[in-house]
Amino acid sequence: MKILETAAQAAMLAATLFAVAVPAQAQTLNMAKALDSPHYDSQRTTWSPTSDVTHMIQDTLVALDWDGKTAIPLLAKSWTMSPDGKLYTFKLRDDVQFCSGKKFTAADVIYSFNRQRDPATRAPYAWRAGKIKELRAPDPYTVEYELTEPYSDLLVQLTMFNNSIHNKDSVDALGKDYGVKGIDGTGPWCWVSWQPRTELLLKRHDAYRWGPAMYKNPGPVKFERLSIKIIPEDSSRLAAMMSGRFDITTHFPTQFIDQAKKSPALNVEEAKPNFQLMYFGFKATRPLVSDKRVREAMNIAINRAELVKSVMLGQAEPAYTYIDPNALDFAPSTKGIIKEDVARANRLLDEAGWSKKGPDGIRIKDGERLAPVVFIPQVTYFPRMTEAIQGYMRKIGVDWKITALESSIMPGRLTGQDFDLWTVTVPYLSAGELMNFYFDSAQMPVPNRMNWKDPATDAAILKGRTALTPAERTAGNQLAQEIVMKEHLWIPVMNARMYQTTTKKIKGARAHMLFQYTFYKGLDTSL
Amino acid sequence: MSAVITPPAAAGPAGATAAAPAERRSALAVRLMRDPVALVAAVVLALVVLAALFAPWVAPYDPYYTDLPKAMQGPSAEHWLGTDNTGRDMLSRVIYGTRNTLMMGAAGVLIGGALGTLLGILAAFYKRLDPWIMRIVDILLAFPAILIGLAVAAILGSGLSAVIFALVVSTVPDVARVARGAAVGVMGMEFMEAGRAVGLSNRALIWRYLTLNCISTIAVFLTLRFGQVILVGSALGFLGMGAQPPEAELGMMAAQGRDFLFMAPHIATIPSLAIFVIVLAANLLGDAVRDVLDPRLQQ
Repeated sequence: MKILETAAQAAMLAATLFAVAVPAQAQTLNMAKALDSPHYDSQRTTWSPTSDVTHMIQDTLVALDWDGKTAIPLLAKSWTMSPDGKLYTFKLRDDVQFCSGKKFTAADVIYSFNRQRDPATRAPYAWRAGKIKELRAPDPYTVEYELTEPYSDLLVQLTMFNNSIHNKDSVDALGKDYGVKGIDGTGPWCWVSWQPRTELLLKRHDAYRWGPAMYKNPGPVKFERLSIKIIPEDSSRLAAMMSGRFDITTHFPTQFIDQAKKSPALNVEEAKPNFQLMYFGFKATRPLVSDKRVREAMNIAINRAELVKSVMLGQAEPAYTYIDPNALDFAPSTKGIIKEDVARANRLLDEAGWSKKGPDGIRIKDGERLAPVVFIPQVTYFPRMTEAIQGYMRKIGVDWKITALESSIMPGRLTGQDFDLWTVTVPYLSAGELMNFYFDSAQMPVPNRMNWKDPATDAAILKGRTALTPAERTAGNQLAQEIVMKEHLWIPVMNARMYQTTTKKIKGARAHMLFQYTFYKGLDTSL
Repeated sequence: MSAVITPPAAAGPAGATAAAPAERRSALAVRLMRDPVALVAAVVLALVVLAALFAPWVAPYDPYYTDLPKAMQGPSAEHWLGTDNTGRDMLSRVIYGTRNTLMMGAAGVLIGGALGTLLGILAAFYKRLDPWIMRIVDILLAFPAILIGLAVAAILGSGLSAVIFALVVSTVPDVARVARGAAVGVMGMEFMEAGRAVGLSNRALIWRYLTLNCISTIAVFLTLRFGQVILVGSALGFLGMGAQPPEAELGMMAAQGRDFLFMAPHIATIPSLAIFVIVLAANLLGDAVRDVLDPRLQQ
């Protein structure tokens, strides 16, 4: 073992020397990604690999500061909210233009949000823009954003990629090829070409001077080109980064992060804060998991600290609550709800009528085995983590029937009802977002896959969503967390860490948390 | 009527009497055992098969019992082959994994062999069916086994049954061609004409005259094919199309260890070595069986 470790270190040293010896490709930043996107029209997808690229090419009205909570000016230089919380008035910058050279005005903002709420667009994240009543432009650089009900999360949600500003001319000109053959935006990078699953090439937006104040450099970016290559295989990406073929990646294999940190060729920076929960959800209307005691038993039968240490090699935090304690509106009262206790898990299952066991040790009730079907994505840490949890489940007499699904077919399968549990990792910005998105009964059957319909939960979520003050918002969101956590609708497992890895020659590439990618605008990144 | 004709297959190529098969089989076994390579391969395969058959008694631990604090431990007195990434005993999982891998290979070869033989014999006997059957076989031959496996897994879902189905589908065309080739040769023999002349039914001709005379050729081919089928099955397992957790299967276990190659190389290398040993032994034994059964090689 020692010999192998030494060999690995020697390989890394050799790679370092090679990386130093090979001169950087002048003015091209080379990025490696694990996943490509079906398209880059940010309004028509929930796919996070779309989000980072559209954040590079397009801007939003407001940007998300490094703290992950604060919306700061970007295309909107200021804004006001009416006393009833229904009308936001955004004052826009007058010095902004698209990559195509077209001047940015309020008409582009109105077009973009109207396109998103047009049912023909079928925008899955349209809800993030709130319940829009009307958008008006009293002058070319003012937008009146009127809602049917107050929306306390609006500003933070407007930082999301789906709320980017599009150029109507580009959308019309490209038609069905919009997002495939190009997109136009006011962002710091401009679209050049895309070979699906191979390479996306962007170039510098030379006129860009309106970067958010979170960056030292307002623009333009410091590279002429950005080449984003898709390297799906972990070890290939690892080797490519180690050899200096790429400058930057969000997808350095987690199991090798410690080696990367020790490598003299690489810089590793963790995105902090970073809210990404890996959880298992229960479809609470399915007979096997409809009993709260059964759900709680599974929730408390696992040892999260052990899982994180062994499966993730320590590169995650155990999650005992749905919301990260550092996230906006986290409910401290939810901290004690999940108490890991195998003996209690066994008692709960006995009480729920699953006291008999078959010859294989799996519990039986009325001739049926306690063997719930679990859908998991067949990528990254999901199979490893699920298999380890499956081991814990066997110890309490529960047989998880794992079905590993290819990531492109998983979303389709999750719209059905033929499974008992599923797992994903969800990035989020605030407690309000997670509660609204997953637990509101209006979101059934997807993304409320639990089929959770509870008037008290809905009322608490509505209270938080329509609050006019931060205190009211917090109260509503915290109450919602308490209700759903006590029902054990999810098994929170871990808060996944996210790293940005660069070669040593790259400077100023600070890792941002937004939606599972770290690059954001990349304005300060330089050689 | 048919009873007066001695089936040529029973008589054998040398024209021995009907009482000879047992003696002939024992003579074949003796000749096989005289080959030291074949002997070692047979012993290794026998041990592997026995371990797989009696896995619940042979395996030292429950192959599904996870123990995370003991994850990724190297070989030790407690765990002879170490533990995997969830702390399960590698030796126990290799034994159970071998069971699934052998079962996949055997099912693929036996079912695929039977269907392929049937198609090949029918194509040779019924000239009208020949072009149809052989064109279908040609089409099936155009698809690599891995591709068929991926397609089957995509349609039916992952699992051992999907892999077995893929292995059967990929074995059928090869066996059908071999069986047809052998059967076409037998069809030209005089005893076939004699059988027809005495009024034997088609069923009797196909089974007693045609099939039994092709069996040794097909058996040799299937013996050689066994190792290849195991390799393809393991490859499909490696790609995640085979056994699903917590089931053990050698290809899947090798894939699971890939992520920990630097930290715990034994997790990937031990199941890979097991595949290597099984496939090598099967191929060596297959070669030896061919040497013994092929009359041309005997000469």
